[in-house]
Amino acid sequence: MILEPGAGDLFLIQGSSSFLLGGVVRERFALPVNAVDDVYFEPVRPGDLVCVSAPEGGSLRAATMLLLLVRDHHFPVFALPKGHPGSTWVPMVLSTAPSITLSCGIVRGTHPDQHLLCSSAELAGIVLRGGVDAVTVEGLPAGFTISYICVDRALAAE
Amino acid sequence: MCSTGGGPDVEINEKVKEGEGKRYRCGECGYTFSSLSRHPICPSCQSEDVEQI
Repeated sequence: MILEPGAGDLFLIQGSSSFLLGGVVRERFALPVNAVDDVYFEPVRPGDLVCVSAPEGGSLRAATMLLLLVRDHHFPVFALPKGHPGSTWVPMVLSTAPSITLSCGIVRGTHPDQHLLCSSAELAGIVLRGGVDAVTVEGLPAGFTISYICVDRALAAE
Repeated sequence: MCSTGGGPDVEINEKVKEGEGKRYRCGECGYTFSSLSRHPICPSCQSEDVEQI
């Protein structure tokens, strides 16, 4: 499936109990990833994806704010070490990459720099490939809805 | 945790331990920084003219 979100749009993949909110990067920047020992600046380029996964669902408005803080305001993200108790208190996770694969077999908060993003079991296996003009979605199971949502509307959602 | 799906579970701190984190210097503004990428962008001026140090 090919998605063509407009310049002011995000795309929403909605399951029965979880969702994924995605947006396309429009400008080049270096994303600060705060790890235990240092801050690593990872490149983000136009056409890359910024995706927020909510494995148990939750507030679309919160997911939108999280996405915009990183994509448009270049706020830093935090990488948790394995076994950190904070992993169980992360309701939403975010990743930036040219291509992102959703997985429910990883620990939340440990992979912000990579192509893997923690998701619910119902979303696991979906592969998203970014692009300046279009986003390709593969592995989408039946029963999901995909919609475009403008930023202003997403910020007003609750 | 759920148990289906997934891929290789390589965490950022494991990548750092394996020495994948490198230091770079920007060729335009001289800023030095760390990155796990082979083609990083300067966080100070957004230049792609960077070299490993």
